[in-house]
Parts: sequence; structure tokens; C-alpha cells
Amino acid sequence: MPVSAETKYGPSVTTNTVEFPYRRSLGPVVGGFVAALARGQITGVRSTGVRGGGRVLCPPLEYDPDTGAATDGELVDVGPEGTVRSWTWVAAPDARHPLDRPFAFALIQLDGADTAMVHAVDAGGEDALRAGLRVTARFRAQPKGRTDDLAYFVPEGTETTDPDVVDAAAAAAGAAAAGVSTEPVQTMEFWSSLTYKEAVSPATARYARSMLAGTLLGQKCPTCAKVFVPPRDFCSIDGIRLDEGHDLALPDRGVITNFTIVTPVPYPGQKETEPFVRVSVLLDDVEALMGLQPVVDIPNEEVRVGMRVEAVWLPESERNAEEFGNRGWGSTTGAISGWRATGEPDLPVERYIDRVF
Amino acid sequence: MSADEPGAPGKTFGEPVAIVGYAVSPMSEFAEQTEVQLCLDVVTAALASSGLGRKEIDFTCSGSSDYLSGGTFTFVANLDAVGAWPPIRESHVEMDGAWALHEAWVRLLIGEERTALVFGSGKASTGELSRVLTLQTDPYYLAPLGTDPLSLAALQARALLEAGKATERDLAAVAARARRAAATNPLAVPAVAAAGAAAVGDLDAEIDALLAAEYVRSPLRAHDTPPVTDGACAVVLATATVARRLAAEQGITPVWITGLEHFVEPHQPGMRDLTDSVSTRRAGEAAGLADGGPVEVAELSALHSHEEIILRGALGLPDTCEVNPSGGALAANPTMATGLVRVVEAARAIRERGARRTLAHATSGPCLQQNLVCVLDEASTEEAR
Repeated sequence: MPVSAETKYGPSVTTNTVEFPYRRSLGPVVGGFVAALARGQITGVRSTGVRGGGRVLCPPLEYDPDTGAATDGELVDVGPEGTVRSWTWVAAPDARHPLDRPFAFALIQLDGADTAMVHAVDAGGEDALRAGLRVTARFRAQPKGRTDDLAYFVPEGTETTDPDVVDAAAAAAGAAAAGVSTEPVQTMEFWSSLTYKEAVSPATARYARSMLAGTLLGQKCPTCAKVFVPPRDFCSIDGIRLDEGHDLALPDRGVITNFTIVTPVPYPGQKETEPFVRVSVLLDDVEALMGLQPVVDIPNEEVRVGMRVEAVWLPESERNAEEFGNRGWGSTTGAISGWRATGEPDLPVERYIDRVF
Repeated sequence: MSADEPGAPGKTFGEPVAIVGYAVSPMSEFAEQTEVQLCLDVVTAALASSGLGRKEIDFTCSGSSDYLSGGTFTFVANLDAVGAWPPIRESHVEMDGAWALHEAWVRLLIGEERTALVFGSGKASTGELSRVLTLQTDPYYLAPLGTDPLSLAALQARALLEAGKATERDLAAVAARARRAAATNPLAVPAVAAAGAAAVGDLDAEIDALLAAEYVRSPLRAHDTPPVTDGACAVVLATATVARRLAAEQGITPVWITGLEHFVEPHQPGMRDLTDSVSTRRAGEAAGLADGGPVEVAELSALHSHEEIILRGALGLPDTCEVNPSGGALAANPTMATGLVRVVEAARAIRERGARRTLAHATSGPCLQQNLVCVLDEASTEEAR
């Protein structure tokens, strides 16, 4: 587990957070369900077809999952009261959960529906839960146009002290007063954030140490004689293990064998705003190729295949190993700021025709 | 003879397919090796146990998850374990390796290929497994609620208890047996094996002790849930012509796949009967479970104790059937390889322990949503005729 790993392996654990800002189209059925929540109304949908025809599905779907037949698309009112069919107790909720206090997840069959929906029950304590418990819905007092405008359920007859939620009648009255739209909600945003931790492999650690000291490091397979950057302690051509004994210090000069110009589109976390170049560099003297390298002091329009380049190392005091993970396809970020033209004559393409990446 | 040559002589449509090699990595709660290194070791070992070399493999299929590893196209990096140059015929499923096995099996039945390498891998320790699995639930109604896999499993367990089909003691009994089995399985997660080895007294006393533990999600206790596991698994398949040659020339014992099928159920947990597994039953029927002798060993991907009870019932396993002698997924649950490990354990029972007919089960999705059944036999269907 990551936590124990961190204490066990100290600083040799790399952490990486991946975030996706999803915006999802809801369509008429889910969108209609969400729109009705703003009025304190939960809805289901009637399935069609022979098998299962006529039953009311809640939560409403575009199709009957038993038959694949389209539902009729007409949302019908269900609840706000319902019956708990199954439940479990979440004693220690975390940030992704709908309540910050202990609560139950339950399968709730709403009155008027033939299926159950998974939702949360704010019941105070686990002892209050049982199959057959009658519950009623609480809605977000300030609806956001999301499925979680249905905030949670409470046992019937419970007084609500949470100022952020209201019962169905109050939500309906509030919506009428505010003139809330009945049109289906179009989209819903969902922010996903996942953090990954893994032990830095011995090969990555050697590469990072070498880069901090100002030397490019590769690894040579004794079978196929190919040189890989960075070392990964195996040969991906022959499928055999390699080790430190196969490491090889590499020259920091080479030739551009391929390039692309990336025009950035804006997305959260994007740091580049102007079109930028990434090049493949075939190093001198060895069969080692480094992909996706940045350039220094070369205008985009002057980058070309055959151009001779050399690495521009950051001053030793500014180098860092933060970007050296196990998956690096030859990342030099943190040690080399990029590759600049040496001014030597271009190298003819025949010399590196199978080395373009 | 290479199957790269169209119409390679001797390749008949629908020729039986056998497992001729396999390997499972040690299972740990935190592997220091990268995923591709885990894959490299099991691929190398599985090929060695099959008598085939890397260049003799006609088709490769793998199962893994980018969400689990936290990178884009990490399954491409995993191909480094195979030696994919010059280019090879290859495919990938974003599913447990058991579904990669299904694709390779179909390919051998209908295509020109005669040999296939299948592997599944996952380092569940890398990401936050519970959050990753929450994101595989429906993004409208479920994921925004934070429906974590443990909570969904607990809803199914409770439904089973409420229906009178199991008791909390039954759940603990499954866990106690799994831990004891783990103690004899060198590939089990060490902490689970140690817990099994430390168990003293008879099974009843151990069950009593387990029932004294706190719930993690009532009615589930920690021992009813699988360990976070890093691991990999590889299987080598061959059509009958190749399998019989390997048997004659290299002494390999082929284990024949006589049936392999999978079905899926509705995703919303409230829209199906959680106390049954209809898709498992259908998969078993379609795989010909009823058409042969009794199944002697069943390796079930029961990630939680109650799932074993549901699966036994759905498959109608006889009391004589040994279930999860490896300890099952409660002993080691390398997400994306757990089902393929079941196939290997079921094959091992035939090849190494003399069983005649065994079964492997794999699952995907919350509350046993999708299920695969693989029936293995010491004899091919041709020989049985």
C-alpha cells in the first residue's frame, strides 16, 4: 500500500496525480431526472416490450437493462418515500462520499418504482438501519443541476437539521417561487483526481543519479547490441533481463531524425501556450535514440531532419530528479533544458534511415 | 511451420485448444518491480514451461488497465515483456487476463494461428484501487455518489443474508478456509498466508475468532475482503496439432479447454437479483459444464466471501468439488490478473495434481456483474468422443 511504501522506501517513491475534468452529456432521460430534482421530484421511467414491459425503472435509463428495449422516455413521478432493501454502514467516510459523517449506503426502492436505486441514508447510527426501513428524500437547498441534487435519504419522520438540504415539499415550493426550468439539464461536470505512487526502479535511480551528474546513461543489450535510453534492466527486443553491468555512458551530441510541432489546445494544467517542437535525437557513435526532446534557441521553422544538435545541461545547482519516473521514454527534464544546433553540416538521411522514431 | 503462411497445412477450423504452459508471479501488497518487469518474468517462465520459444508464438493477447497503472497506453509498454520486434500479431483487452484468454482461444479456433501467449497484469498498489474501481461505475448515478467497491459488495452480502441464503458465519467460514489454503500456497500474499498459518484450533474456533472482528462495511469484515495485490500471470495456448507435438517431443502435459464463455448483467445493482448470479449460470451452461464428468476443482474469482456462496449456487457445484484450493482471490487479488490466475490454478490441478476435470471463473464489474467460466479437461473433446 502506498502509505506503508512511503515509510518503507523513503524518498525513492515517485508520486503522480492524474486529473480529468469530465463534462458529460446527460441526454433526455438522465437530464430530465436531474431537472426534476430541482423541484423536489424524483422520477422513474417505464420500460416497454414484452418482457419486463410496464415496470418503472428508478433510476431512469434510456433502455431496459433486462431486454435492451428502449424505455418510453416519459418520466413518471416516484417517491419521495421509499423502502430500504439492503444497506451497509460507512463508518469512516472519505472525500468522495456524499456525507462527511457516518452514513449508510442503501438499495432504496422508491414508492411507485419496481427497481431499487443505490443512495445514501443519513440515519444517525447503524442501529437505525434494517431492511424494510421507510425513508424519505432530502434535496439540495441550492440545486446545481447535478444528479447529487438528490442529497440523501433520512428515516421517515426525521427532523432535518442540515441547513444545506430541504424536503420534497420545500424544494417544490422554492422552485415554484424561483421559476426553475423544467427543461432537461444538458451536461454534468465530474472532476476525477487519482494519485499514483510507485517505487523508483533501480534502473531509473541509476539514470537519475547519472543525469544529475551531467552524463546521459543508456543500457546495451548483449544479444541484439541495441542501446536503450534510459536503462530499464531488460531488452524489449529479446525479452531478457539486463542489469547495471550493461549500463553505458552516452555522448550528449547527435542528429535530429524526426520532429513534430505541437499546437497546444487549452486544458487544465496546460503550461505551453505557443506552438512548440519536439525532436527525436539519434546520439553520435551509439545506436541510441531519444524521443520527444525539446529544443533550445532553434526557431520552429528551422528545425529539420539531419540537423546536428547537442544537449544544453542545466547548471548543476538547478538540476532535479522530479521528472524521472519508471515510465520515462528518455525524459531529460530537470537535467537538460533541451538540444541546440551545433552549426555543423547536416548529416545525410542514409546514415539514420531506420532510426527515426 | 509458421502460421504466418496463409493456409498453413494441417490447421483445421475448430481444432481443440490446450493450455501448454503457464506461470504466476509471486503476489505482494507492494511490488518493487515495474509492471513490465513482472510481465517479463511470467512470460519467460510460461514459455519455458510450454517448450515454445518467443518466436514460435503466433498471437499475443494481454489484459491490464491504464486506470490502475496511471498512465496512457501502459499496455503498450507491457509489450516490452514479449519482444514485439519484428512486429507481432497482438491484441489487448482492458479487462482481466481471463478475457484476453477468451480472445486468444477464439482466435485459435477460427484463425490461422496455432499458438498464443496470454498475460494479465496489475499493480493495484500503485493507484488508489478503491477510487479507481469507483470510477468504473456508472458516471451519472453511481460514481458521483462515491459508490466504492466495498460498499457495493456489502450491499450484495446483506441482500444474501436478508434472503436467508447465508449467515455471517457462512461468510467467515469461507474466509477461514481461504486463509488456511493461503498458508499452503507459496504465491499467496504473505500477510494472508501468515494469518492462515497462525490460525490455531479447529475451523469452528477460527470462525468464532473471525466473527469477533469489527465490520469494515457491515456485514463484511476485513477477512471477507481481498488484499490489495500486485502480480502478473501468463498462459500459453496451442492447437491440438502443436499441443500433441509438444507432448510427444517435450513431455508437456496439455490441459484442454473444453468450454469457455462469458455473460454480463445490468450494471445498476438495484436492477437485478443480487442473491443470484444469472450470468455465471448461463456461462457455465454455455461452456458445457453439465456435459461431462463431475468438476473436481473449481477456482472462483470470489473477491469477497459471500461471492463464493453465490457462485457455488449458480454453478451447482457438487459437495465433492474442491473450491479454491489456492485460497482464491481472498489470498491474492492481482486486479486484471485474478481471473487468469484462476485458470492457471485450475490447469495446475490437472497437470500437477492429477485432477480430470476442473473449472475456472473470472469476474468483472461491481457485484459480480460480468462472469466468465472456463472448463478444463485432461482429455480433449475429440478424445472424449
